[in-house]
Amino acid sequence: MMASRSPGLAPSVARFRWASSHTRRRLSHAQRWGISLLAALLVFAWVVPLFLDADPTRQDLMSTLAAPSLQHPLGTDHLGRSMLARVAAAIRLSLGLALLSVVTAALPGLLAGVTAGWRGGWCDRLLSTVADCVLALPGLLLVLMLAAIAPGNFWTLYIGIALVLWVEYFRVVRSATRILAQSPQVESSRLLGFGRWYIFRRHLWPELAPQVTTLAAFGAATSILAVSSLGFVSIGLKPPTAELGLMMTELFPYYQEAPWVLAQPVLALFFMVLSFHLLAGKEPQ
Amino acid sequence: MKAIMEVHDLSVTTSEGATLVWPISFTLEAGVPLTLLGETGSGKSLLAQALMGNLPPALNASGRVIIDGENLLEMPPQQRRRWWGRRMTMLPQEPWHALDPTMRVGAQINEGHRLVAGLEPAAARHAMYDDLEGLGLADSEFKLPAQLSGGMAQRAAFAAARAGNAPIVIADEPTKGLDSARRDDVVRLLAQALGSNGGLLTITHDIAVAEQLGGTVMIMRRGECLESGSAETLLKAPQSAYGQQLMAANPQHWLARHQHFNPADDTVLQARSVSLSRGGKSLFDNLTLNLYRGEVLGINGASGSGKSSLGDLLLGLVKPDAGKVERAPGIASTRFLKLYQDPPAAFSPFWSLGTLLHDLCRLHKLSWDSVPPLMERLGLAPDLLERRSDSISGGELQRFSILRALLLEPVFLFADEPTSRLDPITQQQTLELLVELARERHCALLLVSHDKALIDHACDRQLSLEAPIRG
Amino acid sequence: MNRVISTLLLQRLVQAGLVAWVVGTLTFILTRALPGDMAFRIAAGRYGYEQVNAEAAAAVQAELGLDQSPLIAYFHWLSDLLSLDLGHSLVSGESVVSELAHQLGHSLDLALMAMLLALVIGVPVGILSGLRPNGWVDRLALVSAVALRSLPPFVIGLLLIMLFAVQLGWLPAAGHGGGSHLWLPAMALALGLAAVSARVTRHGMARVAGSPYYAFSRTRGLSEGQTLARHGLRNVAVPVIAYLSVQLVYLVEGVVVIESLFAWPGIGHALVHAVVARDVPMIQGTALVMGLLFVTLNTLVDLVSLYIDPRRRLS
Repeated sequence: MMASRSPGLAPSVARFRWASSHTRRRLSHAQRWGISLLAALLVFAWVVPLFLDADPTRQDLMSTLAAPSLQHPLGTDHLGRSMLARVAAAIRLSLGLALLSVVTAALPGLLAGVTAGWRGGWCDRLLSTVADCVLALPGLLLVLMLAAIAPGNFWTLYIGIALVLWVEYFRVVRSATRILAQSPQVESSRLLGFGRWYIFRRHLWPELAPQVTTLAAFGAATSILAVSSLGFVSIGLKPPTAELGLMMTELFPYYQEAPWVLAQPVLALFFMVLSFHLLAGKEPQ
Repeated sequence: MKAIMEVHDLSVTTSEGATLVWPISFTLEAGVPLTLLGETGSGKSLLAQALMGNLPPALNASGRVIIDGENLLEMPPQQRRRWWGRRMTMLPQEPWHALDPTMRVGAQINEGHRLVAGLEPAAARHAMYDDLEGLGLADSEFKLPAQLSGGMAQRAAFAAARAGNAPIVIADEPTKGLDSARRDDVVRLLAQALGSNGGLLTITHDIAVAEQLGGTVMIMRRGECLESGSAETLLKAPQSAYGQQLMAANPQHWLARHQHFNPADDTVLQARSVSLSRGGKSLFDNLTLNLYRGEVLGINGASGSGKSSLGDLLLGLVKPDAGKVERAPGIASTRFLKLYQDPPAAFSPFWSLGTLLHDLCRLHKLSWDSVPPLMERLGLAPDLLERRSDSISGGELQRFSILRALLLEPVFLFADEPTSRLDPITQQQTLELLVELARERHCALLLVSHDKALIDHACDRQLSLEAPIRG
Repeated sequence: MNRVISTLLLQRLVQAGLVAWVVGTLTFILTRALPGDMAFRIAAGRYGYEQVNAEAAAAVQAELGLDQSPLIAYFHWLSDLLSLDLGHSLVSGESVVSELAHQLGHSLDLALMAMLLALVIGVPVGILSGLRPNGWVDRLALVSAVALRSLPPFVIGLLLIMLFAVQLGWLPAAGHGGGSHLWLPAMALALGLAAVSARVTRHGMARVAGSPYYAFSRTRGLSEGQTLARHGLRNVAVPVIAYLSVQLVYLVEGVVVIESLFAWPGIGHALVHAVVARDVPMIQGTALVMGLLFVTLNTLVDLVSLYIDPRRRLS
């Protein structure tokens, strides 16, 4: 039996355990890509049309399915309408609706989630039952039935989507709040005399914020997909509105003559949803 | 004596070249247990993994590990892989997590006999029953790991690890998280398994384990071996400064308390015939208790005995089933406070400690002037204020919790296993400071611990709770 | 064990009740939201403009309960629904139940085939990625998963039609006939599902492979294959199956759109048709069955996960 001694000190292995996991939140690689992509789409949808005289509904039956030209940089569709103007209008519509429904869903969802998770009791049971009613059906079915009440109406779509989305915030925020409300960190702040607002600001919000942002990004993607799916099966918005799903239905018959025209709404939809998925920065686990 | 494993200059380095375990040499002899003693993070677990050959891919082991004339480190991985379970086996740190959570305990032991030892199905089943019988797990064949207590899980893991009859056993912190009775059971098992021909290498931070196992002891710190020798002599009279500190930090060896508390002082808190039950089992019944300013009351008991619940009840966080707790009148409610077992859990990890402390001063209109001297007293460097709770050590954070509590001039402080996650030396320092400061400030301290020796040595009075079930 | 199953079934039964109530209420609102001449137009749709008369319009009105006060009509509507009296299609005049009976089988074929394909593709890819995190399989799977999840099922369907039906001519583009008609719509649904399943499997596999019990199984002498088979797969299956219930939303929503794209004679297709034609009894019937299909599949997933994970069987 012998033991050797060695010069110098080893770096403490213990240090690794304490390596901080909560150092300032930085955007991941994927999230930065998501932001750039979204910014590019915003510029394309709002800024580019300013420089072009382009009306998404003006028909020109003399030049249908035209190849890209100076006048129509992305060509024209089967009714001779400028594809650039139509795709830009469709992106504005999708993004606008997505942002609107995400914001209207997030606020009540967050509020209801914190209340239910914190208070518990009948308040929690009531809110959870409402959430269960919404979740009993797949969201698109609910939106679809609401859309059937007032066909082709932007606002029914918006209400339907927001109604489906708030539940996600509610569920996530509620369960995170429930766990935190009983955690030693909150208990200790309470013992030290801190009030509710302080506990929300210092304990709850930092924990919830990243989850809420992730949900918002996924929610925006869900909303874009829902609008285009309904448009595609002709129960969403009505022609001549420029909407991506609707455009795909309209253009599919001309796919062999002018594949580039059909490709445009497909790519626009793909990039929009992709940008939000990248922005969410999370994978299903 | 027969050497069954010789280790020469074994070291562990990262792929970037940093050394995590400095070259170490020792011999494992048949029938003589070898115990590596050291604090958490001293590289002990890496050493065990290096010996087994299952280091994480980013780490490298060098040196020589000789078993039966063959150097393990030069062996092709596949050949070494075949030794696992058959020539050498490893007892896991946390048995609860080391057993497959979705497989019945019996099946996990059985598969060892069948697939590793190569027994016929019927013989394997017999061997499994023998194991369960011998380990007091006879009724656990169809239980899932989550249904076992910590001690039972460790025994089941032991049977599973030993099913292949490997003569060399490496036990990595086999008593982590067990209370003293369970710990002694596990040590007895290890000693039995050794027999006269086997080899046993135990890695632990618990001095009691080293004492009970006997044999040879090595003291490690930061990946470096400081000294080694027979358990009897080394544990009584360590040569290295660190070894001496370590022995002195053992609650068994703490100086007995001299000053005795005079309970004529004012009462802070009074519990009148309180009862509490959990899950249909009564934890305590008709308990009456007075707490006086400046006294240290210890509560001791095994896990599940309800000692933390009693503390929470006295603090008002848990309501008693019967009876009531009364606080002395006229004292602000924020002067009844708590210290937590897991310090990081008691802080929001998103803000610097300074921010949190400023919040507290602002809320209670306290002057910041009292902070720096108290920090100094607690051995906290000023720059810690800029860091967050997850980037400082557990000991520092627990002292910071003490600081945070003391600023409000508490009259009652419930310390729930405040040092059980700290290494022995830090534990001793933290606890001494806590007791000293509480006494100085005339604060009643309720100290809850599973460690009987610690309670014996730190408290004026103590209360022992029986565990409702023994597992 | 039995208690766990009965609680679970009870919860799903409550969900089924909620589905019926939500569908019934929404379709009731729909009947009230129909414009005044709707009954006439629907009657015209059923009998042709030449034959339509006041009597036919009145029959449609009665069918929808438009001649009653709203509250009474609502209770009638819900009690009809509870007694499974779903009425007759305003378009074809056929009983809704008999139409649904035809369509349900087709939708089930499609949904189950899609789930099966998704697991057959997704799980092996996920296991391979999880055993070597950040290896090339993992990276490729990640990129494809992100791309596939960014495309709605109908776009995947369009791309598959272009590739396999139009360009290669291997498979029929739409309609319903022999088994070959099932491939493209099932694949269109399965790819998106597989992308998610593969990622869930991958994370599960990586977590299991890095777990103490996986390491313990190896150090106590079980071979790699034995460890994977005995302690890996079942533990990986737990999150994968649990996530399936999240994916069922995607599946059922996808069925609606994909059936329309491929003219697949299932319930989703009928639902879309009914919404376009404002055939209220059919909307109610199809949405109800679609919702109940969702609940049933969820129950199935629950039972499978109960079977796989013994921890869930402890009460």
